[in-house]
Amino acid sequence: MRATFPHLLHLDIVLGILYPTLGVEIVPPPPITSRTIEIGVEHAPQNACFPLKVTLGNFVEGIERGADTVFMAGGVGPCRFGYYGQIQKIILEDLGYDVQFVLIDHPRFGWRPFFQALKTMAGGRFSFPRVKKAVSLAWKALVFTEELETQRRALRCQVVNRAELDMVIDGALQSLRKVESGSEFERIKKEAWSDLSALERKKENNFLKVGIVGEIYIAQETRINFQVEKLLGDLGVYVHNSVSTAQYVLNTFPVLKSKEKLEAWELARPYLKRFVGGEGIDTVGSTIRYAQEGFDGVVHLYPFTCMPEIVAKSVLTQVSRDFDLPVLHLAIDEHAGEAGLVTRVEAFVDVLERRRKYWKKAEGE
Amino acid sequence: MKVGIPRGLLFYRFYFFWKTFLEELGAEVITSPPTSRYIVQKGLTYGIEEICFPVKVFLGHVLALVDRVDLLFVPRMVSFYPGEYNCPKILGLPDIVRNLFHLSPEQIIDEEINARNRGMREAEMGLIRLGERFTSNRRKIAQALQKAEKVHREYRQQLQSGVLPETLIDGKQSLLPKEEKVLLLGHTYLLNDSYINMNVIEKINQLGYSIVTPDMVPEDRIRLFLKKVPKPSFWTISNEILGTALSYLKERDPKVKGLVHLVSFECGPDSLVGELIGRWVKKEEQSLPYLRLEIDEHTGEAGLVTRLEAFVDMMRWRDSNLESHFSPFAAS
Repeated sequence: MRATFPHLLHLDIVLGILYPTLGVEIVPPPPITSRTIEIGVEHAPQNACFPLKVTLGNFVEGIERGADTVFMAGGVGPCRFGYYGQIQKIILEDLGYDVQFVLIDHPRFGWRPFFQALKTMAGGRFSFPRVKKAVSLAWKALVFTEELETQRRALRCQVVNRAELDMVIDGALQSLRKVESGSEFERIKKEAWSDLSALERKKENNFLKVGIVGEIYIAQETRINFQVEKLLGDLGVYVHNSVSTAQYVLNTFPVLKSKEKLEAWELARPYLKRFVGGEGIDTVGSTIRYAQEGFDGVVHLYPFTCMPEIVAKSVLTQVSRDFDLPVLHLAIDEHAGEAGLVTRVEAFVDVLERRRKYWKKAEGE
Repeated sequence: MKVGIPRGLLFYRFYFFWKTFLEELGAEVITSPPTSRYIVQKGLTYGIEEICFPVKVFLGHVLALVDRVDLLFVPRMVSFYPGEYNCPKILGLPDIVRNLFHLSPEQIIDEEINARNRGMREAEMGLIRLGERFTSNRRKIAQALQKAEKVHREYRQQLQSGVLPETLIDGKQSLLPKEEKVLLLGHTYLLNDSYINMNVIEKINQLGYSIVTPDMVPEDRIRLFLKKVPKPSFWTISNEILGTALSYLKERDPKVKGLVHLVSFECGPDSLVGELIGRWVKKEEQSLPYLRLEIDEHTGEAGLVTRLEAFVDMMRWRDSNLESHFSPFAAS
């Protein structure tokens, strides 16, 4: 079995650590390029949301590299994500690819298929200690990659030499790919932290602060969102992203729901009373939290036609008014152009700068 | 107390239920006028640009009511079939309306009606909570509910026999039945609002076909065929479309000559469900002609008519050439 899977930021690194231990050979799809998107757009339904198209492109490219199995996750709705697998499976069949489509779905749709999928994904044999060992290291790696990205966002405006920052973080990510044991992992982690703290910082520390909210895939996958975070960092903005894959995974288990998430839901309640699928309510809650934490602005990233995020967007207009917080909505799909996006982000940062310079000063007096 | 029901989205499915229920509780029910150019335009100004067309129209209807009534009726219809959802936009509808028109909680009925987890009992609890806004007498609410359910069942039965909702609600003249039929798939708020769909039903009728909509197919039949889908979708109305399409593909009715799927641009569920139906149609042997009509505020009537006429020509051509087309032995 040679399995491929969709990209989501550094998921390939994490699964690269997980699977050799489980005895499954994985074939990571090549990094997302315009070809991936072209393939996805060509075969996917026209009005489907963008992540479906990109992940479909991933599958096709993974299969071209020699994969014979596709790993995908399902869901319970009402967001469209949970139905991706069904559609992608049929599309791949119709394209004539003879692959096994392993879809791990919510136990709500039957415990048997759930365990069967889990078993296949765990390499056929289900030995608890083995799985536990593999998962615990992979989990640590996932959390670590996210911490690295958080640092990259936060430090980009602060360091003197940005290329050095990228070098340290990309270097750490690269060496993670070869990690095999827990001790090696700890060494890489320690090294990365010491390298990061050794970076030379600017003297000033009065940066503009921008939070990122939105749909999990678009808000995280830098190869799709035109590296908005990097762009903001280069403009001298401190960036924080409210979306995290680790949190997402944890929150799929009702018991492990994080306090942060419940708080965000509580904050969103005056505006959006109920879970509307996807990250809709989290978007609203996180925006309010950023306003309370004194952020200067929020960038809302979502795929064009995303249902939960459109509900969130309708509501965010009022949030933005009530909290006096500028929100920039960026809908991303295959037609999004980089130049237009860059111009809008730059204009947005200009607005924030002016607000800080004149309005905030007037408030203080 | 005046309660306003906007004429949009699930209106065409639940109007009689809601009306009876509210009237039994002592409310005066006001419905917004049928969709017009004015309403659509107001909706377009109020709704954010990316939201789907029917929601924009709904917002136009809300605007037409909001100053005339004491209470706006926008219940949160999370689910009306066990285990399924409605579309996220319907889930968030009360919040969208509340935030757009700056309504206080006393001005809007936004009780949650949810049959997803514990079925109809749970949904009834939501309706009882809703009723408690009008009276504290639980007995009265239960009676109102019972009566409303009875009216709703009668309404659904009438729909099954082929009567169109607009005939029942507005007294619109019913169309002449034709010999041949077209299966018209789509969400209830697209099929039954003749302004948004540019009178598509009448146009098909003038071209010589009666229509069959998911509302006219027995629910048992829809659910039976839906069981054959590996994983049905999460959305009740889309599931009904899926089940109806499958039932007519698998068990052919010789009178049904083609499939027309009416979709609103931006419709999330139908973007996936429509793709499934399209692929099924292609895989079927001696399949039915299939037309997908996408509708939004920019759709021109002329384009729609041309496509429908071309489709009718195709159905006719296919009918007359069916034998020679599929049988290798027929004389050419």
